[in-house]
Amino acid sequence: MEQGWGDYKTTGFYDELFTPKGKPRVAARQAVNLLGRLPDGELDARRTAAEVAIREMGISFTVYTEGGNIDRAWPFDIIPRIITEREWRNVSRGLAQRSRALNRFIDDIYNRQKILADGKVPADIVLESANYKPACAGASPRFGVWAHICGSDLIRNADGKLYVLEDNLRVPSGVSYMLENREITKRVLPELFENYSILPVDDYPSQLYATLSSLSPRERKRPCVVVLTPGIYNSAYFEHAFLAQGMGAELVEGSDLLVDDEDCVYMRTVDGPIRVDVIYRRIDEEFMDPEVFREDSVLGVPGLMRAWRAGKVAIANAPGAGVADDKVVYAFVPEMIRYYLGEEPLLRSVPTYLCMYDKDRDYVLAHLDELVVKPANESGGYGIMVGPHSDEATRRRFAKLIEKNPRNYIAQPTLALSTAPTFIDDSVQPRHLDLRPFILQGRETYVTAGGLTRVAMVKGSLVVNSSQGGGSKDTWIVEGKS
Amino acid sequence: MTMLSRVAERVYWMARYLERAENAARLVDAYHHMVMDIPRSAQPGWDILVRILAARPIFGEYFRVPNEQNVVKLLIAESGATCSIPYAVHAARENVRTTRDVLPDEVWELVNELHLYAREHSGSSVGRRNRQQFLQEIVSRSQVITGVLNSTLCRDHTYRFVKIGQLLERADMTTRIIDVGAADILDQEGAHQAIDHLLWGTLLKSLSALGAYRRMIGPLVEKNAAVDFVFLEPAFPRSLAFCLRGIREELSPLSNHTQAVKMVDRARRKLRRFESGKYGRDELHVYIDDLQVILSQVHAAISDTWFRFDAR
Repeated sequence: MEQGWGDYKTTGFYDELFTPKGKPRVAARQAVNLLGRLPDGELDARRTAAEVAIREMGISFTVYTEGGNIDRAWPFDIIPRIITEREWRNVSRGLAQRSRALNRFIDDIYNRQKILADGKVPADIVLESANYKPACAGASPRFGVWAHICGSDLIRNADGKLYVLEDNLRVPSGVSYMLENREITKRVLPELFENYSILPVDDYPSQLYATLSSLSPRERKRPCVVVLTPGIYNSAYFEHAFLAQGMGAELVEGSDLLVDDEDCVYMRTVDGPIRVDVIYRRIDEEFMDPEVFREDSVLGVPGLMRAWRAGKVAIANAPGAGVADDKVVYAFVPEMIRYYLGEEPLLRSVPTYLCMYDKDRDYVLAHLDELVVKPANESGGYGIMVGPHSDEATRRRFAKLIEKNPRNYIAQPTLALSTAPTFIDDSVQPRHLDLRPFILQGRETYVTAGGLTRVAMVKGSLVVNSSQGGGSKDTWIVEGKS
Repeated sequence: MTMLSRVAERVYWMARYLERAENAARLVDAYHHMVMDIPRSAQPGWDILVRILAARPIFGEYFRVPNEQNVVKLLIAESGATCSIPYAVHAARENVRTTRDVLPDEVWELVNELHLYAREHSGSSVGRRNRQQFLQEIVSRSQVITGVLNSTLCRDHTYRFVKIGQLLERADMTTRIIDVGAADILDQEGAHQAIDHLLWGTLLKSLSALGAYRRMIGPLVEKNAAVDFVFLEPAFPRSLAFCLRGIREELSPLSNHTQAVKMVDRARRKLRRFESGKYGRDELHVYIDDLQVILSQVHAAISDTWFRFDAR
């Protein structure tokens, strides 16, 4: 069976490794040549080796199912995605800029609300959003930073340019897979690394620790940082354990913590209570504190909000940070960058139609077959309609939904997500992908070198979410020598 | 080294459940062997196993007649019954699953394999044909896990809570077996003098004590010597005296250990006053009852001090 790249054909979309004429791009040339020279069956053997490595390393994520939870190996494609360092330098600057502006925005919204008063962002869409948490008003976390860990989703469109698709500011996940993917590639394709200078990614846990400890309310040499998880049944539990281990921090559940009369947070240990300085929160804010949010939450810690507001403990991401993680607010990010930083946005955003505006809504309803319609407050790729792939009945259903609750829907042009060569069955085929870099913000700002590339493993599919059959690739930022 | 109370509690229960599975398997196995050696009229009846495991109410939920088939089925194949072997294995696995980061990797794999083994084979191991193989597999797999824990765990808090759980469970089981087993044998004393030593031998065997007893005391198994051996012999690692001393050793490096140590010392004082020669059937039962109350107080003190305290 022919395994080579000879018959690899791009499908009219921008391809990450090949030009439209079918030639490898400069940065990809070495890798493509080397993989192309592998004897028959070798690519398959490497894929098997990767599967074994994944099982050994215990990489798994949980998929919610009716019949309990199952651990499933994370589908991994062994062909790396390659991006030049020159391009990444600009992207990285753009991401840092974006994160700064978003944080200024959140801090403004919960305090002076200047941007609303100045009419740059409509007050009602912010204050009436389910993501706006009145309980957070007036709080002032250290450095004015609320979203300390941000995972922004980037896609490359037909024009070959990267666009920001959304910013995940609540509890973004996936970074552990970025780290593990590199480990696996190093194991199964070591010869690829001989001819490349690839920026390392494995300092992420220490950068995360540095960011988190910079938030500590007490000046200590080694502040007590903990990772707060909802527990083993959460789909990202593996990552919670992985990051806790990488930082040498305790992995705690809500019942491990308590808040005393002086609003200090302690964890219960066999040596008695130990004061906690910083909580890396991996549970939804809705479940964080039954005194303030959902009373029925058994995952949370009663009094945690009190402690946070009193400045006795830092929480990352801060509760309420999700106010900027909203598909409607997204449309205003370029404006925020100009407003708060006096700079032009370095990264492109996707044009967004807000159904709450009559003009936009009319356009959306008239062009449902061309647009992607998304609910403003869902994550994980749920509840999305992709116009060109939809049928008449679905479009009618969405039209009704939009008219009933326009605030809840946005629409964007259907993007031509780029593809990259992916090893499927026994041939190399183009598959669509996106990229999630992680931006850390505390005293300093840090952007990962690359991020997690997610691949839609199904032919023609644009849905890259792991919960819906997506896989991932190692992502290389390579120093050029072209 | 920080150890969360929740994690301590889970490794403690993991150790208890593993020990429980092993002990229950050993108990059923020993009885299974004895039954084949002893005339039917002298057999204590299968419900003795249910009584030793304090499982009468549970048994009633599943079966009416305490015959061989039903008793063995409850203990080997009813994974939902809290007294069964597969239940204990499953509970151990759940506790390891959530504490994997403080335990050696092999422990998770081995416990998981033990769980899969129990699940797959318990149904077909109720009959006499496969029963022994199943029970011995449970025992030997549990021993492998204990061995890995012993040889790879750092001697820190994790190790201490594992050890305490294991020893306390073992002490508890020893008292139960002597309590019920001795009473049954003493009930029939005289009726079948020829086989008394066989019964006492089975009792020692179910505690893994027969070989050690023979080497240290002698070939003939007698009541007083046997009970003394499993209660007091300081060199035998399954004796009560040994377990209690071990628990005390592991408790003392823990902070706030006063209450738990006090309870263990109370049990040890009680044990030092033990005189098998003086006790008849009923006195022995009362004595063991008291001892079991103290053991449960040891557990309560451990739980209150390290697992479920509120803010101080």
